Amino acid sequence: MTEHDAEEAPPGGVAVDDGGEPPTRDALEPSHAYAAGNGVTARIRRSAAWRSAFRHPPIDTPRGRALQGFSNFFLHVYPVKIPARVLRLRYSFRLGFISTVLFGILTTTGIYLMFFYTPTVGTAYGDMQTIHTGVGFGQLIRNVHRWSAHLMVLAVVLHLARVFFAGAYKKPREFNWVIGVVLLLLTLGLSFTGYLLPWDQLSYWAVTVGTNLVHYIPLVGGSLAKLLIGGDQIGQATLTRFYALHVAVLPLTVVLALGIHIWRVRKDGFAVERSAVGASGAFEEGATAPPNVAVPATAPAELYGGRTRVLGVVDRESVTAEERGVDDTVFTWPHLIVRHVVVALGVTTVVLALGVLFVAPLRGLANPNLTPEPAKAPWYFAGLQELLSHFDPLVAGILVPIGAILTMVLLPYIDRNPSTVARHRKVAITIFSGLLGLALVLTVIGTFFRGPGWEFIAPWTHWYVEL
Amino acid sequence: MAHNTRREFLRTGWRAGGALLVAAGGWTFWESLRPLAGSGGGGKIKLGQPGNYQPGTATFVPEGRLFIANTGNALLAISQKCPHLGCQVPFCDSSGRFECPCHGSSFDIGGEWIEGPSPIGMSQHPITLEDGSVVVDTSTVNPGPPRGSAVHLTPARGPKCKKG
Repeated sequence: MTEHDAEEAPPGGVAVDDGGEPPTRDALEPSHAYAAGNGVTARIRRSAAWRSAFRHPPIDTPRGRALQGFSNFFLHVYPVKIPARVLRLRYSFRLGFISTVLFGILTTTGIYLMFFYTPTVGTAYGDMQTIHTGVGFGQLIRNVHRWSAHLMVLAVVLHLARVFFAGAYKKPREFNWVIGVVLLLLTLGLSFTGYLLPWDQLSYWAVTVGTNLVHYIPLVGGSLAKLLIGGDQIGQATLTRFYALHVAVLPLTVVLALGIHIWRVRKDGFAVERSAVGASGAFEEGATAPPNVAVPATAPAELYGGRTRVLGVVDRESVTAEERGVDDTVFTWPHLIVRHVVVALGVTTVVLALGVLFVAPLRGLANPNLTPEPAKAPWYFAGLQELLSHFDPLVAGILVPIGAILTMVLLPYIDRNPSTVARHRKVAITIFSGLLGLALVLTVIGTFFRGPGWEFIAPWTHWYVEL
Repeated sequence: MAHNTRREFLRTGWRAGGALLVAAGGWTFWESLRPLAGSGGGGKIKLGQPGNYQPGTATFVPEGRLFIANTGNALLAISQKCPHLGCQVPFCDSSGRFECPCHGSSFDIGGEWIEGPSPIGMSQHPITLEDGSVVVDTSTVNPGPPRGSAVHLTPARGPKCKKG
């Protein structure tokens, strides 16, 4: 979308009515109040160099706000206007955005830690001690990194649950759900590979237990585990591999997947609650077009099986998914951006507070000959470990986790019920809630209720949890 | 089909070539990630006279990460790694059994499964007698005896090391 598009009606369409006073061309020129006067700032703002970087002054008119969005790389991630209901906290609880913010915090703190860390068996643990004791704010940065990682796993899982309960994985968002599941797996992979890097007893044995789960995959399990840890047991090769995965392969993959994920949120439109009737996917001919949409009956629309809007050809489901009626849209800048800034500040405050209050664990140097009691996988795999102590490894190690991942990936293709209203989806919601509850119970038992020898203990007798 | 033969032939050729390239590159990359031979276990280690190992004991050999267990009628080289999830399993002298601290699997002195989540007995290394001394080949790991095997099983001689 360019400035030009906003100004002129496209052939066969009508112009977007932004509801404001049509500003004169002069209003966009540097003579505007924001660059008026003879002060240094104003002179800089009027300079050709400044105007080449910041093309539009912040003019507080609908048109000015739209131009801000179009012409700013960072704001361009957002749509210029969004439905007002998106602003409500309970629309999404901002969980996807919170996950993204946590990923940003993790990237920043992670790069900082990279300056002080060498991934070798001989130096890794010493570097961790140096970060704790000899690097300015090193301990705090590591704490924030650690707690953000745990919170990101939590936020992504909650985001997934929220999207499920809202039915937002249904047509036309099936593929974005799949990408979301991939992002969840990448998040787990990032957290797990990072777990080994301190090279202390906690990380060594948690990763030993975690990677040994791979052995239970039939036929390929043994060689896959060998490939993952680069040998028969965890050593230098494992540390090198996990480091490369943790700082390069997985983050880059997340950035790519996240880019597609967010892009598709825009392309698929914002999810709304719809009953089975209105959401059959069939476009009702003769339906009144929403005020902002022009519907020329031209060939391209039929060609692409969609409808032509001002902004181009849009898949018909995403058009019908948008609520019709009065124009309830608001400008992203400032309405949504301000909320996002507040959420981002809130998340930062929380992880900083956690970092100040709780020290990330660093036990003794990894000792392959001394297993601590009990050796637990990281908490997000503790449910799997708990399951493994009850069932045959083929069931608990393979059928359940692989079945769960496959079911999650295929969910939008299995559940063809178009309704997103809870009372029309009793079966799906019951099954999902049951499985989620089961996973929660297993994780809580494995994390809090298991002591030495994997015997039941009450969590208050002795705390065996380390995150 | 007929009027497009050349175009389709070329298209198929490009696709096949591309697929071949991806497959070859992928295979090479995959192979390059495989650990080098010998990066796992070590070679053969000599562990002294068989008489050093008293019946009913299991002696830990740190350099091989294994136990030499004298079951009374056999000398076995048992890997210290629990077949369940890879924890290091200590030998409990009071019960005369291997007891995994992580998840509660226990094994008799011959490494045979008694209880717990482990699906199989403890792995073993080949053990031989050369020039009167015990030699263990740590480069070879044989899977342990299946569940239900009870060749070396004797009643526990005392309490467990871990409270259960």
